[in-house]
Amino acid sequence: MSGGAPIANQIRTLRFLAGEMSQAELGQKIGVTRQTIAAIEAGKYSPSLEAAFRIAEVFGRPLEDVFQWKGSAGS
Amino acid sequence: MAYREKIAWMSLVGMAATLGLYFVWVRVAGDETAPLPNLGMMGAYAVAAVAWAAFYLLGGLALRLKDPAEARARPDERDIAIDRRSTQVAYFVLMGLMLYVGGFKPFQSQGWEIVNAAIASVVIAEVVRCIVAVLSYRRSAA
Repeated sequence: MSGGAPIANQIRTLRFLAGEMSQAELGQKIGVTRQTIAAIEAGKYSPSLEAAFRIAEVFGRPLEDVFQWKGSAGS
Repeated sequence: MAYREKIAWMSLVGMAATLGLYFVWVRVAGDETAPLPNLGMMGAYAVAAVAWAAFYLLGGLALRLKDPAEARARPDERDIAIDRRSTQVAYFVLMGLMLYVGGFKPFQSQGWEIVNAAIASVVIAEVVRCIVAVLSYRRSAA
């Protein structure tokens, strides 16, 4: 598990723009639980590359519009 | 709270209420040094093990009935990652404890002292697995 990684995301905004799509709905679309979407959204869990691409696909956006690498100390 | 986190909590409570009580009884009133097969000790362990199994089955059923959709859902990538980490930590704990029980206990103890040490190793490893799972879920909870 890769929690706490310096990755920002725009999932909350994109859910709002998608007609206030719920976390459960998004989770159902990409095959994860509501709690996992909540953890990703809060930046406490970094999704796998596949899940990240699936989330981007749901919103019809390129990956970099959904997730941004903030960089880390020493990198 | 995620379904699998609830299962981990239930498992912890169940172990404390059954096998935990068994080990308290062993310390307070159990006679580990009686000649084998020591049916009294064996009977107490059987009661604790059956109580633990019943607690786990009934608790699992109650959680399943409370939220059938979450119970039916397959573990997602976070569940799998947490399970992998907690199992890995518990495996090394179990291996270390079993090496101690197998390699050192026979020189210090006998009979049910060794059996109980082996049972305790399994219980401790399972407790560690559940604690790591709960902490991982808590740490990554929104």
